Amino acid sequence: MTSRPVTARAAGTDGRAALKHFTRAFGAAIVVLVVWRVTTVGLAEGYPASFWISQALNGLVLGGVYALVALGYTLVYGILFMINFAHGEVMMIGGITGYFALQFALARGWMEGPWAIVVIALLTIMVIGMAASVLIGVALERLAYRPLRQAPRLVPLISAIGASLFLQYSVLLIFGVSPHSYRKPALISGGLRLGDVFIPYTGAIIFITSILLMLALYFIIQRTKLGRAMRAVAEDRATASLMGVDVNAVIVVTFMLGSALAGAAGVMLGFHNTVVKFNSGFIPGLKAFTAAVLGGIGNIPGAMFGALILGLIEAVGPSALGIPTEYKDVIAFSLLVLILIFRPTGLFGEVLSEKKA
Amino acid sequence: MALQSAAGSIRTGLIGFAFLSYLILIGIPGRIGGSALPVLALISALFFWLNLRREAAHHLARNPEQGLEGDEGKPGWEIGANADSDRSSLHALLTARPGTALALRGLLAGLTTGLLIAVVSGIFAAAMGNGVAIQPVLDKIVPINVAALIGVSPGQIVQAEVSFIRFLLQILLFAGAGTLAGLAVSAGGSNLTTAARSGFLAAHVSGPTLGSVGRFAGIALPFVLLAYIAWIGLPGVTAFGTNEGTVRLLLTLIATGSGLFAVRLSRPGREQRIVAVLLGLGVVSMPFILDQFQNSVMGLVFIFVMMGLGLNIVVGYAGLLDLGYVAFFAIGAYTYAFLSAPFSSPYISGLLILMGVSPDSPLLGYWMALPVAMLTAAIGGVLLGIPVLRLRGDYLAIVTLGFGEIIRLFMLNLGELTNGPRGILEISQPALFGVSPAGVTFGLLSSQGWIFLLALVSSALVAFVAIRLNSSRLGRAWFAMQEDEDVAEATGVHLVRTKLLAFAIGATFAGMAGQLYAARQINIFPENFTLFVSIDALALIIVGGIGSPAGIVLGALALKGLPEVLRGVDEYRIVTFAALLVIMMIVRPAGILPSARRRTQGTDPDEAGFDDSGELMEGLVSEEQVAASPGLANGKEEVR
Repeated sequence: MTSRPVTARAAGTDGRAALKHFTRAFGAAIVVLVVWRVTTVGLAEGYPASFWISQALNGLVLGGVYALVALGYTLVYGILFMINFAHGEVMMIGGITGYFALQFALARGWMEGPWAIVVIALLTIMVIGMAASVLIGVALERLAYRPLRQAPRLVPLISAIGASLFLQYSVLLIFGVSPHSYRKPALISGGLRLGDVFIPYTGAIIFITSILLMLALYFIIQRTKLGRAMRAVAEDRATASLMGVDVNAVIVVTFMLGSALAGAAGVMLGFHNTVVKFNSGFIPGLKAFTAAVLGGIGNIPGAMFGALILGLIEAVGPSALGIPTEYKDVIAFSLLVLILIFRPTGLFGEVLSEKKA
Repeated sequence: MALQSAAGSIRTGLIGFAFLSYLILIGIPGRIGGSALPVLALISALFFWLNLRREAAHHLARNPEQGLEGDEGKPGWEIGANADSDRSSLHALLTARPGTALALRGLLAGLTTGLLIAVVSGIFAAAMGNGVAIQPVLDKIVPINVAALIGVSPGQIVQAEVSFIRFLLQILLFAGAGTLAGLAVSAGGSNLTTAARSGFLAAHVSGPTLGSVGRFAGIALPFVLLAYIAWIGLPGVTAFGTNEGTVRLLLTLIATGSGLFAVRLSRPGREQRIVAVLLGLGVVSMPFILDQFQNSVMGLVFIFVMMGLGLNIVVGYAGLLDLGYVAFFAIGAYTYAFLSAPFSSPYISGLLILMGVSPDSPLLGYWMALPVAMLTAAIGGVLLGIPVLRLRGDYLAIVTLGFGEIIRLFMLNLGELTNGPRGILEISQPALFGVSPAGVTFGLLSSQGWIFLLALVSSALVAFVAIRLNSSRLGRAWFAMQEDEDVAEATGVHLVRTKLLAFAIGATFAGMAGQLYAARQINIFPENFTLFVSIDALALIIVGGIGSPAGIVLGALALKGLPEVLRGVDEYRIVTFAALLVIMMIVRPAGILPSARRRTQGTDPDEAGFDDSGELMEGLVSEEQVAASPGLANGKEEVR
């Protein structure tokens, strides 16, 4: 947005400025409406504070999972400027693989053993899920996206949609339509009660794990040589390549990182929702992408905060507005529209120059 | 060098194994039954052939002494884009390399694949023979497939040992397939593609050399022939579990598609007009000839043509990536449903009372409802347009996607207004002067034939409007806006008006399509309006060729028509479609029939239709286009 020529702005007395005022007035009207609704309906219901707190905690757990998936979208977008539409499916494959690993562990009775064995088994399940996702992510990059690097931008999008359908229906053909249910080991099926607020162990574990994974990613991006190479490629691919960065390798690593996070999210979402099936990656993928855009796509902290905000609003929103929970998706997408009206490149999207957006 | 090529062959074998494993996992051998192994060997032979051919071309392209241009710059484009260098390098290959090396490489690749298949199926067979349970889910799919692979019935694996000879046979079959592929590459190069090309639409290719008359015959012949076969029918022809009706449907689709090619191929002017009129007459007579099922599919195809034409205005002309186009389709459908179905919601009745109409009186018929549906959809378009005016590119894509989902969720959850997931039933049928032409009076049209005819007429109208709009002042404003918003604004394009008009007009067409869809379906439900409708519409304009109406018709025929033919192999339908979508984007990203404007822009990577000798070297379609429109070829030079 900063790179727009001054002359255009000066000339745009009729167009650009009107456009801005027009959309902002529209947005302001919606904000007023929402505030009015929250104060007169949502808060008037008189829910106890503990209700709001547990809703918010639920939202944070969901937001943590969204954040892991959103990071995959944003990493790929930051480097290739393409929407990896199949990323939700990469996550689903992590979940499906995790299910089989869990079945294996359950069959051998590792889940009833001492807590150390259970923890190691759970970690191994997650790593196996991540590995499967990485495999699929790299294959996607190699087969569906790499041949299209120079193509106009709609072309890789369609290819990604094709890949997404292909993965979904392959899983359907191989593993069947029926959902596979995750069985939680006894160790983590309980929860913590603090006053009136109930925190399930799985929720706490999911949130902590996703924060740890995000910190690990942030460390890789900001502190390692590899991360520097990734940032260089995101900034300017041609120059980075002249500076001796192997662009292809960096892109592959980006896909690996994003897919690994998605795989972890898939396994954790499996434990959270208790079921996985062929299309269980689609809606979370869409939400995560929304979160990435909310934070400003291509921006890593943006994706994390966007996802947490989205999760929170989705959990708290329906009760705050006094409408049924079926509308939580409507709230999520409306929030996106509202934020983009005021900040057309997302909450943290200022760094993205116009040529990329 | 030899070591390197051996490693390459083993890699080819490994990829072949991965590919075959996928086919085995999704249950292909079980479906084929006894002859599964030879069929798989045949598939792998084809795979090895493609791979060796590519590798050989690459190898030669990298050697500068062969005098070929390298293509390192764009890895992966080579299948379609560099077909010419592909072929000439194969000429060089013929003279430069003995066939034994290639045959050996094929043998090695085949051995790798065969060995792996034998080992894996051996392990599974041994496990099952010893009663070892595999994962419960895999147990459902593995036995039948492994049994088919080693040529026994599933029961036999469990009872008895499977002989060593069978596994040896597997290895030998794949090794043989690889060797054959190697020999084929060394001996014939691209002969197979040449043969396929000239066979498929032979008359089109030979047309230019035969002069005007022969050319005309060449253009019309395949179309007429296919149309004849399609309508007279091939009695008893069945394949892949389809029946005669489906085969006819397939031929109808091919006939319509090849007719479109014929129009593109014929010389602009009188010749093109004649072919176009012939095609038009042919298509218009279809609703009277086809049966109910074929008509319903063709009706759906042309409803999606309308959708594609409308979306093309937004995406193709104005350059606004809209992933929530289904919203307007749904608005059109629901508007008509409210106005014509017995279901009455308190809101709608209230509205009617406000307007001074008794809610019990018969509501609007199809024609009266049409402007209402179009207007409602247009208002929806403007309402979506306002908040997204300042968004660009992918931000726009996700917001529109969200809008589409919001509309669907409202339809699902606003039970009082839309009857929720139970949908709206018994939507009345379109009539003409109070009588339905599909009625008993003449018996000419089936009810779906009537819908098909309406879809045909409406899409012709929409196409006319879209084409005229594109060459109007507004069309140029859209084009300018697509290229660069700031520059467009500086040259006097009113951005707000131009963008909102694009959304509104696109939405209007979708509303029309939605209304007809509601009439076709009779009962509509919120599940009819998922994101996949938007994706289908977007995919069909991109596969067909964005910005080109003929391409959109072709895209709709391919993407909405062909899957119906494949109902017989329903479970593999979507997987095949999805894989083809990816392959299509890699091989021909500009679409099957790209628009003239796109072609002059240079977004089409395989622009160059001619090589030095003036021989046509490209894929069928661009050959025809370039040959068909000398004016275009000249225009291209002018642009440069």
